[in-house]
Amino acid sequence: MKKTTVISLLVLLLGAVIAIGSVSFLGPCVHEDGSFGACHWAGRAMLGIGVLLALQGAVALFCRDGGIRAGLMISSALTALLGLLTPGQLIALCGMATMRCRAVMQPAMRILCGAVLLISVIGVIAERKRTGEQA
Amino acid sequence: MKTVSLALRNLLRKPGRTAALAALTALLAFSVFGGSIVVRSLRHGLDSLESRLGADIIVVPSSAQSKVSFQNMLLQGTTGAFYMDAANLDRVREVDGVALASPQLFLASLKADCCSVKIQVIGFDPETDFFIRPWMEESVSRELGELDVVVGCKVEAEVGEIIRIYDERCKVIGRLAATGTGLDTAVYCNMDTMKTLLQAAEAKGVSHKVSSGDSDEQVSAIYVKVREGCDIGEVNSKIQGHTRKASAVRTKSMLTDVSDSLAGISSTVTLLIAAVWVLALVILLIAFVMIANERKREFAVLRLIGMSRGMLSGMILKESALCSLAGGLIGILLAALAVFPFTTLIETSLGLPYLRPETGVIVTTGLLALAAAVGIGSLAASWAAFRLSRVDPGTVLREGN
Repeated sequence: MKKTTVISLLVLLLGAVIAIGSVSFLGPCVHEDGSFGACHWAGRAMLGIGVLLALQGAVALFCRDGGIRAGLMISSALTALLGLLTPGQLIALCGMATMRCRAVMQPAMRILCGAVLLISVIGVIAERKRTGEQA
Repeated sequence: MKTVSLALRNLLRKPGRTAALAALTALLAFSVFGGSIVVRSLRHGLDSLESRLGADIIVVPSSAQSKVSFQNMLLQGTTGAFYMDAANLDRVREVDGVALASPQLFLASLKADCCSVKIQVIGFDPETDFFIRPWMEESVSRELGELDVVVGCKVEAEVGEIIRIYDERCKVIGRLAATGTGLDTAVYCNMDTMKTLLQAAEAKGVSHKVSSGDSDEQVSAIYVKVREGCDIGEVNSKIQGHTRKASAVRTKSMLTDVSDSLAGISSTVTLLIAAVWVLALVILLIAFVMIANERKREFAVLRLIGMSRGMLSGMILKESALCSLAGGLIGILLAALAVFPFTTLIETSLGLPYLRPETGVIVTTGLLALAAAVGIGSLAASWAAFRLSRVDPGTVLREGN
């Protein structure tokens, strides 16, 4: 399997985990009375970011043009950076460290988005190297 | 140096095989480092609880003792509000052998706006307190005024921020250092503030009264320090006899319970690490023997072109060491990602005091885990290296024909 295919596949998979996780096993706090805290909206934002990452990975997987693939990887790196900052920095979470949004969602999303960021940067470097070799 | 570069090239030539061997050592390093950090954090948490408690005996209402609610509150941060007659404080002070006795008053808030969950509010008497004050003095320089509060490190409220408890606006004047216990999730105030909060709670229909009377007549817990030289057990029994509708708990017995749970978890983790070690050693041994058989001809050629037995063994050991080093580093990194960001989750899941050890301890544990991974990889490869260095290259090459 080609390096670029593996990278695109990883972005697709991690994006899917972020999207599915944000509404299930890595999701924000669930209040007994059915009310929503700020963390609920951070979870929703992560759902959108996860779907976007998965789509970028899927398009990169089937794209034959190296330049477009590099562009998609730059885009996924920036999206991952946004995901890294969303829970806690851009959208507030609950005020107690023991709550699910802080104990589970925030660290898990940071790790997953950090991994996507790293993989995307490697992807961009790999694409540049490939383009350089071809030229 | 040349054999190192040859070993490295051999590893890169077969990425699948190298990845499989590295994955095995990564698993080993993951279990050793992750398991050790969890056990060390539990021990550190227990030490922290021991040093923070400071009291020899804690007197709580009988209802709290029967529901184990006090211990849960202390260890897991569950909210609790239980009260007993404040006359018990005078009765405790009258007991021979009691050096210090200080009351505390608890209140479980409704959803505080900072947290969207109930939080535990603990009121203490700054004049007699010997439990919270020493801890508070580490981070707060001034005295607590009316509606001033200090928060545990897990309450995400900044110094100077206003938090509303029962609609009373309380000013955060400090954040306390981590203890790894339920005390980190509480809010602390003096008795005057507590009285205001209790009245606010009454106004919202949350009753805290034992019977009739006002909030001055109640306390939730009495922390007792026994005079030096006196038998704690004896004083405990005397307090038990003197107080009404209250139970005197020796902190040592509470800590022993925690210590027993910790010992159970510790031995389970140790057993799991040992099982992973044995499994990894056996798999690595089999893998290296199979690889050695597969590469017999390659090694025979190397011997024929002038490589000595020692150089050949050295190259195999270097290959294994490099592979184990990479696997070990990956395993430690993955364990760090699994353990450190999820400290709070592990703490709440275990329900035991859990406090991350100092950086020096973490680095030492990491280095030991890495040494263990490299050591076990080299040990497994040494058998293959010994066997291969004894093989006659001529016979091996003729076998192939």
